[in-house]
Amino acid sequence: MLPDPFFYPLLFTAAALAIAAGVTGTFVLLRREALVAMAVPQVVAIGAALSLRYAWPKLPPALIAVALALALLAWARHRKLDSLLPCLYVAGVSISFLIIANSGAHVNEMQNLFVGIDVAVTPDDARLVIVPVLIAALLCALFWRRWLLLAQSPTTAQLARLHPIAWQVLFLSMLGVVLLLGTNALGVVMILALLFLPAATALPWARRIPTALALAAVIGLIDVYLGFQLSNRMEWPFSHSVGGVGFAILMLSHLAALPFRA
Amino acid sequence: MLIELTNCTLGYAKRPVVHIDHLALHPARCLGIFGPNGSGKTTLLRAIAGLLKPQTGTLRRAPNLRLAYLPQLRTIDPSWPMSALDAASMASSSLSLLGWVGRRKNAILQRLRTLAVDDLARRPFRTLSGGQQQRILLAGVLATDPQILLLDEPTDGLDLRSRDLLVETLRQSRQAGLSIVLITHDPDELALLADEVAHLHAAPDAGEPSHIEFATSGAPTQHSGLETQD
Repeated sequence: MLPDPFFYPLLFTAAALAIAAGVTGTFVLLRREALVAMAVPQVVAIGAALSLRYAWPKLPPALIAVALALALLAWARHRKLDSLLPCLYVAGVSISFLIIANSGAHVNEMQNLFVGIDVAVTPDDARLVIVPVLIAALLCALFWRRWLLLAQSPTTAQLARLHPIAWQVLFLSMLGVVLLLGTNALGVVMILALLFLPAATALPWARRIPTALALAAVIGLIDVYLGFQLSNRMEWPFSHSVGGVGFAILMLSHLAALPFRA
Repeated sequence: MLIELTNCTLGYAKRPVVHIDHLALHPARCLGIFGPNGSGKTTLLRAIAGLLKPQTGTLRRAPNLRLAYLPQLRTIDPSWPMSALDAASMASSSLSLLGWVGRRKNAILQRLRTLAVDDLARRPFRTLSGGQQQRILLAGVLATDPQILLLDEPTDGLDLRSRDLLVETLRQSRQAGLSIVLITHDPDELALLADEVAHLHAAPDAGEPSHIEFATSGAPTQHSGLETQD
């Protein structure tokens, strides 16, 4: 049964994010960048809080906040200041709420951004999100051999004058695009659910990276479809339904893999 | 001559690590680098690779020099899903813009055949033995047709048979014209492979660079060759 056309922008956006987050999330897990992926949506929230407080357009402050955070992160990595990343996460959580403190309506809107309740996507929002996140995912997938080389033999990459730091910045930028637009459109819960759960489900089954990417994208789409159905039938929030379904599939996948591991 | 270092001090920031009066690398020769931990073996290898500029002195390289590096097995992250062919393709992937191997795939498969590991190409890399993994990676590196091959403890963690196989392959490659720079803790490996051994001695005073003794062949059990300490 087809859903009400009213939901099409939401569903198409969620489907594009499922594909993009599945692809980028696979590399996030392999490159052990999960904490970066957790911190960026909190930084997006700072931009969103500024937009709410000063009635600015929604996206530019978030974009500037993410760009600044990623530049700070690249600098910290270069200086081997690993402690900055968890601090960035806490700063995002704290500062975003301080900006809109004592303004009741804005606090509710911020909470919606974090928990993803009452997700509403207009056709204009969908257009703004779908193409850039799919391009970011496509680039990320095309460069899979590059990410593999940089992870397994950075010296070989340096011999070929590939500059690992520049590639690190490129990866973080693509991840930043997916997280920024995903958080703005569907909230923190949805983007993190689509980033981690399908990739974590796919990786143990894949023998090669392209297979893992395709599998993660398909599992992400299944999570979105089943999450939407569950959300409609049970009148549960969409984001949390997707997260719940994704985690259930992850657990079932591990159970199904037990005989093979034994 | 492929690479020549003259009166070079190598180090990081303002800290000198190794001083070399003269070091030259010739085609079809193997230079072994031997010394205790912290004596600057990796620093010397990085300078030879062109990844570290000398603090003082001159480093000359033949034009358009092709270098390759064989990754250490213990640095390979087994959580990445990859076939043996993917692992062998890593070195070739560094040579193209997007990392695609395309036309180089035949050369890689040819090298896998030469090292008798072509039947493993489709197998998951993490399921192979250490010796098989090392030969897969070596085949991939040799497929890039390098003039100089850099190795950092290549037999670390390998059983005796795998080590002998690897050493024999390297000897054949050297006879075919490949230059090899080899860091190792294994004197037997040096005796089997190296034409010349750079033996690094840590300086007695902290803050002073290590110095190098050269032995012309075999294990560096005796101090012979040039004394190059300033």
